[in-house]
Amino acid sequence: MNLFTLFISAMLINNIILSKFLGMCPFMGVSTKMDSAVGMGLAVIFVIFGASILSWLLYYFVLVPLGLEYMELICFILLIAAFVQFVEMFIKKTSPALYKQLGIYLPLITTNCAVLYVAMDNITQEYNLIETIVNSIAVPAGFMLMLCIFATMRERLNANDVPKAFQGNPIAFVVAAIMAIAFSSLAGLV
Amino acid sequence: MNGFFAVLIAVALVGINVLLYRMNRATPVPEGCENLKPDCSACGIRDCAVRSQMIGERDK
Repeated sequence: MNLFTLFISAMLINNIILSKFLGMCPFMGVSTKMDSAVGMGLAVIFVIFGASILSWLLYYFVLVPLGLEYMELICFILLIAAFVQFVEMFIKKTSPALYKQLGIYLPLITTNCAVLYVAMDNITQEYNLIETIVNSIAVPAGFMLMLCIFATMRERLNANDVPKAFQGNPIAFVVAAIMAIAFSSLAGLV
Repeated sequence: MNGFFAVLIAVALVGINVLLYRMNRATPVPEGCENLKPDCSACGIRDCAVRSQMIGERDK
């Protein structure tokens, strides 16, 4: 597959939130303000990118030669958890400013199913390393894009007169459903 | 032999996890970041430490 096509497909057409419905927890929980949405989005990009490449290397250079492909799920979970711990420690030591922006979201990402999905998807789609890198940037970029769009919508919703029964999460779910319908029209383009 | 390597890899990964967890906890939080509060809500992950902290503060 063409790398540009792969990027557009992973970011917009097969968007992880609106077409796969993965990562809904941070999508609903951290989209109340634009600042927190950007922080969470950047942290997700960083973690998915690193964890996916490490998972790919572990799979093809350790598990496949030893015939232990069935271990991929448990290995990837442990690898992602370890990677997040390492990233948090590294940011604490090297960049307090970055820690202030991302640090609070890093432990949350360990439990984000989107991270595991990208690592597993790279293997099931049999991507090579370059395709893995492109996919591992495009998927979280699509996640961040949707998070930011949704955060701006929620900020506007908060400033509007929403009926009491719909205030808060109910109207957010309605808006998310409408966004998913809009993005479903892109299906089949690639 | 295959099973031995499977156990070895699993144990190694768990060991790396425990080691990194302990090193992370031992690393001091940068100045000014001691009381960072998340801006999250509507999350259903019961194991999340941030969520537990928020619920604990709310109940107080």
